[in-house]
Amino acid sequence: MTKSPTVRAGRLIDANLHLLDRQVLDPENMPVATVDDVELDDVLWNTPLPPGTPAPVVTALLSGPVLATRIFGGRPPESRWHRIAWTHVVEIGTAIRIGINANELDVSWVERWLRDHVIRRIPGGSHDPE
Amino acid sequence: MKRIFAVALGVLTAIGGFVDIGDLVTNAVVGSRFGLSLAWVVIVGVVGICLFANMSGRVGAVSGRATFEIIRERLGPRVGLANLGASFFINLMTLTAEIGGIALALQLITGVDPALFGPLAAFAVWVIVWRAKFSQLENAVGILGLSLIVFVVAVFLLGPDWGDLARQAVMPTVPASEQPATYWYYAIALFGAAMTPYEVFFFSSGAIEEGWKRKDLGQERLNVFVGFPLGGVLSIAIAASAAIVLLPQAIAVTSLSQVVLPVVQAGGTIAFCFLVVGMLAAFFGAALETTLSSGYTIAQYFGWSWGKFRRPAQAARFHVVMIVGLVLAVGILATGVDPILITEYSVVFSAVALPLTYLPILIVANDPDYMGADVNGRLANALGLVYLVIILVASLAAIPLMIITGAGA
Repeated sequence: MTKSPTVRAGRLIDANLHLLDRQVLDPENMPVATVDDVELDDVLWNTPLPPGTPAPVVTALLSGPVLATRIFGGRPPESRWHRIAWTHVVEIGTAIRIGINANELDVSWVERWLRDHVIRRIPGGSHDPE
Repeated sequence: MKRIFAVALGVLTAIGGFVDIGDLVTNAVVGSRFGLSLAWVVIVGVVGICLFANMSGRVGAVSGRATFEIIRERLGPRVGLANLGASFFINLMTLTAEIGGIALALQLITGVDPALFGPLAAFAVWVIVWRAKFSQLENAVGILGLSLIVFVVAVFLLGPDWGDLARQAVMPTVPASEQPATYWYYAIALFGAAMTPYEVFFFSSGAIEEGWKRKDLGQERLNVFVGFPLGGVLSIAIAASAAIVLLPQAIAVTSLSQVVLPVVQAGGTIAFCFLVVGMLAAFFGAALETTLSSGYTIAQYFGWSWGKFRRPAQAARFHVVMIVGLVLAVGILATGVDPILITEYSVVFSAVALPLTYLPILIVANDPDYMGADVNGRLANALGLVYLVIILVASLAAIPLMIITGAGA
């Protein structure tokens, strides 16, 4: 999938303003998640950065249980993080578009589980509304 | 013909949303105790809901982003979550009241215990939400709801002293039998009933459900500026009918049968039939809207897939939330709590939660990233700021007044 100019290298992005709490959409316009947090590379947690350190790079968008710790404090174990790798991001606008289908991401497992175990078992669940 | 149907979204939100059980009960209570001396609040509320529904519909149509996505994006996850909790709670109260209202209206015609109708009504709401198309539900309920115009007819049939009614409305005074604090408490209740946040959630999400784009903005304006004022006229007619019949006899409205009384006295059985159809349509429409709104708010906050334009299997969590909401509503009704009482509290709590919903809409409607050239004009911003002040004052005063007046006793 071709990337939009909004994600070109060197564009200055305010993570707080342009990434956090924005809706993530897949190529079929299906909402995937909201960006609950971002993962940065090479930043030691809880350690002050010396002046002149190069800016860290966003490696993934996070969603899921990390929202609870963002609101109430703390930090979930890394094994519980649901990542959308930064390489999937194709456009940053009022919503963030990714180039991979929602069904291929771990982030949407609850949606898939409820779909397969609850919604599809109710008559009419797989049909268009009439 | 197409044009007429196209206004239906506005009419549905006007009838099922503007005149729902909250407006019906609050206006009748106010009319029976204060006459038309609070009619000005309805007008203030109608202008406010027109302003903000138009803004949120425009944001939805232009940016494709619904209201609760924006609330979270602008207020952050923490305040957004607080707002979500409050909105979901109020929404659930309103849904419970609407379903209870359907059961009470059916009791009026059948005499059967409303406890039996509650689960049935909730199931009917679910079937529609599960299977029916958005446009069908809005047309059917919108057109049936129009029979609430019987309240306007009733006011004429009752042949009131028009001069006296006009005096109450134009030169409002607190009646001698009431405290000023109670007067202001009901002013806030009426304001909350007119500006209930779920109307905005429903309206902005509805714009996206219908696939509205920038070119549909004229249509959207028409819906707002025809639909909501129509709802306002009905609200004032409800208060007027209660003021004419119930106020002189000092009957305070505590049940649906007292709301119905003036219409029956004016037009007999035929008027009663129209009224029951209108009430059922309005309550049912509002139950659909609040059910959908409970799904919309949660799904949009968490970024889940939502919408009736998708198959249920493509919006699984959205549909699960709505089912849970309906089950909770039926559960609350099963405790035997009076739906009229829930209604009276829900409109006041709505007033408390208003600022957190309306502030982010005003901010984003001015953001060129979202809106491009369609950002708010000066008039919309000036009015928006004035209303933010009113909304904030109403929100802060609501709980203290509730305590001082013993919830309007």
